Amino acid sequence: MSELSHIGKSYRRKDGPDKVTGRATYSQDVKLPGTLIGRILRSPHPHARILRIDTSKAAALPGVKAVITVDDTKGIKHGFVETPRYPPDQEVLARERVVYVGEEIAAVAAVDHITAQQALELIEIDYEILPAVFDPVQAMEPQAPQIHPSHPKVRDELPYSNIGGRTTSGWGDVEAGFAESDYVRIDRFESHLRTHGYLEPQTTIAHWENDRLNVWTSSMGTFIKRAKLARTLDLPYSAVRVHKVYVGGTFGGKIDLYSHEYCASRLSMIARRPVRIVASREEIFSAYRHGQPLAMEIKTGVKKDGTIVAQEIRVINNSGGYRGSGVVVIFLAWGFTMIPYRIPNLKFEGLSVYTNYTVRAPQRGHGCPQIRFAIESQLDKIAEDLGIDPVTIRLRNAREPWEELPNGDNVHEAGLIECIKVAAEKSNFLAKYGKGRNASGNIRRGIGMGVSGYFGGSLIYPNGSGVIVKMNDDGTPTVLTGGIDVGQGSETVICQIVAEELSVDIDEVKIISSDTDTTPQDIGAWISGMTYVTGNAARQAAGNARQKMLELAALRFNTDIEDLAIKDKTIFRRSNPAERISYRDIIAYSIATRRGDTILGEGFWRTMRDEPTHPSLATTKGRWTENYAFSCQVAEVEVDIETGEARLIKALTVHDCGFPINPALVKGQIDGQVSMALGHAFLEEVLTKNGYTLNPTWLDYRMPTIHEMAESEDADVITEQYSVGKPYRTKEVGEGLVSGILAAISNAIYDATGVYMTSTPFTPERIVKGARKLARTA
Amino acid sequence: MADRSRELSGKSQVISIEVNGELHEVTVRPRHTLVEVLREKIGLTGTKDGCEQGVCGACTILLEGRPALSCLTLAIECDGKKVRTVEGLANGEKVTAIQQAFLDQGAVQCGFCTPGMLMSATALLEKNPKPSLPEIKKALEGNLCRCTGYNAIVAAVRQASGQGVDPVMQ
Repeated sequence: MSELSHIGKSYRRKDGPDKVTGRATYSQDVKLPGTLIGRILRSPHPHARILRIDTSKAAALPGVKAVITVDDTKGIKHGFVETPRYPPDQEVLARERVVYVGEEIAAVAAVDHITAQQALELIEIDYEILPAVFDPVQAMEPQAPQIHPSHPKVRDELPYSNIGGRTTSGWGDVEAGFAESDYVRIDRFESHLRTHGYLEPQTTIAHWENDRLNVWTSSMGTFIKRAKLARTLDLPYSAVRVHKVYVGGTFGGKIDLYSHEYCASRLSMIARRPVRIVASREEIFSAYRHGQPLAMEIKTGVKKDGTIVAQEIRVINNSGGYRGSGVVVIFLAWGFTMIPYRIPNLKFEGLSVYTNYTVRAPQRGHGCPQIRFAIESQLDKIAEDLGIDPVTIRLRNAREPWEELPNGDNVHEAGLIECIKVAAEKSNFLAKYGKGRNASGNIRRGIGMGVSGYFGGSLIYPNGSGVIVKMNDDGTPTVLTGGIDVGQGSETVICQIVAEELSVDIDEVKIISSDTDTTPQDIGAWISGMTYVTGNAARQAAGNARQKMLELAALRFNTDIEDLAIKDKTIFRRSNPAERISYRDIIAYSIATRRGDTILGEGFWRTMRDEPTHPSLATTKGRWTENYAFSCQVAEVEVDIETGEARLIKALTVHDCGFPINPALVKGQIDGQVSMALGHAFLEEVLTKNGYTLNPTWLDYRMPTIHEMAESEDADVITEQYSVGKPYRTKEVGEGLVSGILAAISNAIYDATGVYMTSTPFTPERIVKGARKLARTA
Repeated sequence: MADRSRELSGKSQVISIEVNGELHEVTVRPRHTLVEVLREKIGLTGTKDGCEQGVCGACTILLEGRPALSCLTLAIECDGKKVRTVEGLANGEKVTAIQQAFLDQGAVQCGFCTPGMLMSATALLEKNPKPSLPEIKKALEGNLCRCTGYNAIVAAVRQASGQGVDPVMQ
């Protein structure tokens, strides 16, 4: 590896100064003259037929500039997934029926908030209430209310109702595997409903002007938003410009097309004025898309030494009123089962079930925290039943480097085994394990371990990223990228890559990002692929600019490119370093000799370049990515066995994220995920009853405050090297680490108390109930 | 309907507020919150509007030197008072020690909580230049951060107070 100047260094964020001074512009900060206020009318019922809508009084109210219902739309449906098997299933505004509380029915644009509110109150709707179903298992019963009676069903013949999607997968011979197992264990786990908790409310300002739609929206990808808006509005993609704004957190909750984005746009097209819609926090809690609780049945067969022989897994997901990402989370649950451990025989079934709840979206980890919690908890129980320790059983099953996964992907330099070893050593795991339950007193300490593997980047629209590096006359580069910084630091990382590849100071790299008109297409800040996909495009674009400058310098010096090298914005001859030319002069030379041509570098990257399509969500057939990150995490908890109160004291994260381009940003991702996982474990729950949200504020939905945060330590297992000019496989670090730590907390509670947690959250009630049951049976 | 609008809006009143050392005379209605007036009428959008429920702390400003939630503060109550917002911290390009520490310690990610966090931390440090860990936590307990996990923010406050945290960023 050549010596690195900028990669691997903890540079401060490029956007930091704007953010600490209040200069950073978020969507709520965009001001356009004459902006109208948009509001959305939502269903008060979980399931009802709309018999009549009358918007005439609202439209007649002075100050109201536009009112829309489904009749004012093109009737084009949208969905998180839009494939032949899973066609779009949601209209932008409800047509004839509503299927969840909060479903969007109409929207208004008015001169101020009060007028908009009054207009909503003047819209008259008659409903016929229909029977509703909320539990996915009940929804599968043949006699359950049909949520989409005329909806095309999945092709499989199933004896169930309301199936929105099904994933089946497997390999080997599961029955033979169980027959050869020395020990078989069956458990059922459940996770619960949580929300993303992004600080910035979802906000869109849209302006239809000169037959073009300009949109500023808080999102995870401007190009995916452009595509969804253009399609549902029936506009050419080029008629929609999604502008750059800073984004105040997403965690999966700002990918899909949201009602405020469509409605602000459509209202602006009718009113011919800018329209802003801000989702209130209560709307976000009550009507927007949350994460996905899974019910997971797991049967595992092992040899005496803990080697997994067979696994049968069934996952049921409650997708809410439309598919949302429900059909993806059941596919991903298979993926997150497959990655970390060898499973010679697997049978997997995932079912995504329509109910009369709000639609569900990805949430940091997208199925990984749930399924790893289940598998890792059961694995600890199996280990105990067999008299094996948690470290040994994990090492016995962990993927080795260069293993081929059952789907044909390769894990390359997988560092899982080293992660487990380092985690065990650094936490002094085995010395601490098993002490809690035998301690005296009410306060018991426990230690637990969890393992996770996560993919990075995949073939999802727009499938790849382009980057342009434009060399300025003064020899500095300007990067044009469609990549969006949602807080993870992508702008900084991309600038580091370009600075490294071009040997310039990072402060001299300017970046223009996430604008659909002025930047190349980009995959977006999701599926954990930005550093890998956009980062490699940036590497390639910088390399392309470098190559063009070297070609010119070779002409100028009458030498071969191989004789040339770059350093500090200068090209010099290796054979005679005194012979040199600055970037500034080579660009001037280019302009002088090539009729004004300046230097533009182009780069494009996609995951699995040779694969025509992504894997099937239904069958899992097809390759996925070759970008797998691994981690082993350890949690130390303290539990009061009298009150059942448990808290995370310390988290240790040992991870293989490839090569950490900016270690401080990596550390930031780790701490954030530990915080989110402890919220998942102990605090956060969206409480619902019959389709209604019972706790639609942060007062009642408890996210971790500064008081709850635990000590968070981390260690890198660096398996990949960064070489200038060569593709790299920098791996995921923003999602997977919320998973192992949740499982580790569950196992640490068991270690401290003997209470086997099969449901999240790990509430005092559940712990006390479990402890009392144990005491009774002792 | 227009009557109801007036009833909800209330009678306009001109108030004068000193924001970051600059006097502003603004016309407000009784229902206007301070965050609305700062952002919509005075044009200082650094203060963020996160929940409108007084829970997240993103809208924290200093009112007469003390942290206050501008989403729960009526603008009319601020007549004749001094307000400091995040825009009032830096002097041109020269940021304050706490702003610099947020940059150095990686205490900024999405940045939406940052203005509120900075104002709470500024109030703390002005009152208590060497706060202990429990005092730091107490001062920042009303500010939610979903990105950083708080540890970097604690480190930033410690750095700004000169209490032994080496900058982790270059």
